[in-house]
Amino acid sequence: MISLRKVWTVAERDMRMFLQYKFLLIMRGIWFIAQIALFGLVVNRMVSQGVQDSVGGDYFNFYAAGIIITMLYSTAVFIGYDIYEEADHGVIEYLLSVPVSRKELVIGRSIGGGLRSFVYVSPMMLFILYLIGISSPLQLLVAFASLFLFTFGTAGFSITLAVSIKSSDRFDISLGVIDALIVRLSTTLYPIAYMPSYYADIARFNPLTFAADLFRWGAGIESTFLTSPAIAVFGIVAFFSLFTSLGIFLHERKIEGGGWQ
Amino acid sequence: MAPIIRIENLTKKFSSLVAVDHLNLDIEDGEILGLLGPNGAGKTTILLMLTTVIKPTEGTAFIGSYDVTREPDKSRTLVGIAFQEPKLLWVSTPWDVLDWHAKVCGLPSEERKKRVRWALEELELWNERHKIIHTFSGGMRKRVEIAKILIQRPKIAIVDEPTAQIDIVGKHRIWNMIRTLRDEGSTILLATNELYEADVLSDRVAIMHKGKLLVCDEPKKLKDTILGGDVIEVILEKDVPQKSLEELKKINRVVDVLTTEPNHLKIYLNQAEEVLPQITEFFMKARMPIKSIHMSEPSLDDVFAHYTGLTIEEAQKK
Repeated sequence: MISLRKVWTVAERDMRMFLQYKFLLIMRGIWFIAQIALFGLVVNRMVSQGVQDSVGGDYFNFYAAGIIITMLYSTAVFIGYDIYEEADHGVIEYLLSVPVSRKELVIGRSIGGGLRSFVYVSPMMLFILYLIGISSPLQLLVAFASLFLFTFGTAGFSITLAVSIKSSDRFDISLGVIDALIVRLSTTLYPIAYMPSYYADIARFNPLTFAADLFRWGAGIESTFLTSPAIAVFGIVAFFSLFTSLGIFLHERKIEGGGWQ
Repeated sequence: MAPIIRIENLTKKFSSLVAVDHLNLDIEDGEILGLLGPNGAGKTTILLMLTTVIKPTEGTAFIGSYDVTREPDKSRTLVGIAFQEPKLLWVSTPWDVLDWHAKVCGLPSEERKKRVRWALEELELWNERHKIIHTFSGGMRKRVEIAKILIQRPKIAIVDEPTAQIDIVGKHRIWNMIRTLRDEGSTILLATNELYEADVLSDRVAIMHKGKLLVCDEPKKLKDTILGGDVIEVILEKDVPQKSLEELKKINRVVDVLTTEPNHLKIYLNQAEEVLPQITEFFMKARMPIKSIHMSEPSLDDVFAHYTGLTIEEAQKK
């Protein structure tokens, strides 16, 4: 039996911890501005009319929506770094000793890691929606709910990776490689129609593709991939479920204090 | 009455190292049990298994009626631990750490604030409650760690070297707080390598060495197991030959002689006052000048030495 109070207590702790990383928060904010105001505007001028047409008439909107998803992803995976910081100070052992089940701990941390990412990116998301305009509030609500799940799933993925690797250097390198692959093999930055088919086949099952396409659908941007939002929602639910379950399994069966590098 | 903690055949191996070796021990409700031994004796490993932080390789332990290997979630509801090394993120503040700990232990809001404030004031951390832990000394961090358990007031409170890095005034304050915790209904499991701490606080002391339990009993009874009620410690200017040791043992009322260093003897005997002149005379005749001589009652260190042939300090070095 899972106690929601305990889950929330764990989540709240991770949200509070995020506020300690003021430097990171400021830097990510600057990164976002650079991506939109510099790169986005320049790239928008470079792309051909054909590309503009294929993404609903304005590549900038398509790109800006994709950047929001990469922001959500990169801030949600940060919980993995928190785990290493905690391992350094022995806090992992402490968390394993408190009267909270491993399930509550993993779910709480996934929610905390996801929610803090969502809250942090929200102002940027609203700014982008202001630029794009909202055509269907109901669609947007569905998209938001799915993005919530996407951030929880991403945090669960990061937790799973961190506790499986148990080495901060390897985790950092792995996350760099995964980040390069998962972002580039998705529709966050470019439409699937322009990908070679062997890349497109992978991108179709990428949670970032599901999230980006859902956000665009929610904002009323014509998506070149999404034929059914239900499939994307299902993909995100599967992503969340898989990594939350994996995280719980690892914590219940494998995780012990000590042995972190 | 059933013990509140029952440890059955508990074993933990790290590769080829046996940190805890088939430990069997019962801990009664409401007692303070001191787990005494040098560093590396396996004390902390036992505590980590009891709190489900690490898993036993073999055997198990029951916390109340809950098996730590099968019902870890339930057993954790009865236990609280103050770790040997403070487990704190340095960017946190004492208030945040303790308030969250109280919250996760299920204390309601008002009670939580009251207990956190009380603990911070008692441990002289109130003025520093909003400062980040990074700026704290080792002793201050240790006090934050201890505060967790004082706020939680669990049914079973586990404290691992609670007064390490704490000054003597602070030690007495923490000892009193541990006693109060017990008086309010907690069972205390105290791991320490400080003999005096184990002696003054514990109802019973379990002595550990190399992962094994050597003996467990009340401190007085343990001391009584040493034949001869007194100890004379002699430091000589030169090393003692084996032959002299044998001759010393033949003196009336001398029960045993232990060499802790080649020129450092511990003589266990009865009625030391009466035998002391004979002993000094013996060394004078043997042309072995005495550097210092000291008479005392047996300590837990003597009990440890009795079972292992080493003092705790020597065992720690090895």
